[in-house]
Amino acid sequence: MNKVYLLDAKHISAQKPLSEEWTDAPIYPSGSLSSFTPSIDPDYAQCFAPNVRRRLGKLLKRALLASRTVMESSGIACPDAILTGTGFGCVENTEVFLEAMTFEGEDCLKPTNFMQSTHNTIGSLIAIETGCHGYNTTYTHKGVSFESALLDAFIRIANGHIRNALVGSYDEMTPHYRILLNRTDYPGNAYFGSETALSAILADEPSEGSKALCRIEAIEMIYGKSPQCIATALQRILCRAGRSFSDLDAIMTGLNADKANDAVYRRAEAELFSGKPLLQYKHLFGESHAVSGLGVYATAVCLQRGSVPGFMLVSDKKFRVDKLRDDLPAKTILFYNHCGGKNHALILMSSCE
Amino acid sequence: MEDLILELKSEIIKALNLEEISPNDIGDDDPLFGDGLGLDSIDALELIVLMEKNYGIKLTDPSQGRDIFRSVRIMAEYIQANRTK
Repeated sequence: MNKVYLLDAKHISAQKPLSEEWTDAPIYPSGSLSSFTPSIDPDYAQCFAPNVRRRLGKLLKRALLASRTVMESSGIACPDAILTGTGFGCVENTEVFLEAMTFEGEDCLKPTNFMQSTHNTIGSLIAIETGCHGYNTTYTHKGVSFESALLDAFIRIANGHIRNALVGSYDEMTPHYRILLNRTDYPGNAYFGSETALSAILADEPSEGSKALCRIEAIEMIYGKSPQCIATALQRILCRAGRSFSDLDAIMTGLNADKANDAVYRRAEAELFSGKPLLQYKHLFGESHAVSGLGVYATAVCLQRGSVPGFMLVSDKKFRVDKLRDDLPAKTILFYNHCGGKNHALILMSSCE
Repeated sequence: MEDLILELKSEIIKALNLEEISPNDIGDDDPLFGDGLGLDSIDALELIVLMEKNYGIKLTDPSQGRDIFRSVRIMAEYIQANRTK
């Protein structure tokens, strides 16, 4: 089995885009899911020719720029595979297309909106940009879409079918989509609703002359509501990686201040992760189906710097954020994410020393 | 005719999302494809949709577009002669 490294990752999110500045000067958006915080977009006029820019929707611009930037920094011109995770895909274009179909009939539909209205538009566009004719798949599994894409890339690299892959996590928000979400049971009390664009390069070895962000040792995904299935997943992932529970320095969680969401983590902490420091990232990156990609990225950045910033540590049983805490040294972190308390994903990540 | 040409320029800018271009930047006789505005085949489809939606003109043969979309003036003349709304 080949080792799998996360070479680099670039994001466009609620934090400063394409930058790791959030580790020293994080932005703390406030509010709840209904008071959604849009991503901070870079100046796309500096990045794309006008003819290219005019035809790309918001999410496609973000995905393309993040992918282009991470490929440059990783020294990979054309990845062997492109794996995409997205909850709702290009919602903005889908809305325009469906609205036109509803109000104007099916005779006068605009081709650009149609072409960009599918979930796999993102992966296709990146493939066209990079000239990648390799394996290309999009996963649309709500809050574990990214982990599904990551697992696919991980298995292929570990088994030697490919040497590297571009793995992305993308979701955007529109005003109409927000109204619909507010009518559902989607975490209404989360820190804040957000958008995600994260592109990462996985490979079987670090780039020449540079250090990878971290190593991904094992991934485990499981479906089930009982606490026992998370315990089973934990045992399996430690066994796969040849690790013991004592090797874990911390647990990165998807705590987001919503009662139902956090209860799953609270139970796991009490029954499985007792004594381990809990970490969180959604107070910085918000809540969206694709945000777990940013959680994996944030964990990887912490492992590369050798410590977790104090503001990512959960300070007490109420899961409050304490911005004044000291950094936590960490070499091995278990990333844990769940969606609806039924889909669980565990990712064991370690520093590249 | 001049009003229609101006209206058409605005509609083209809107339909094709031509950022940073104003109606004044498009010459009445400038070629829309190739060296002019640099439009491509997807834009041609967008223009066919625009003609049908705004002026009720249905181009059944897409190759007709090659002649009709040569410039804004030629497009406006065709619209004036064939519009149903």
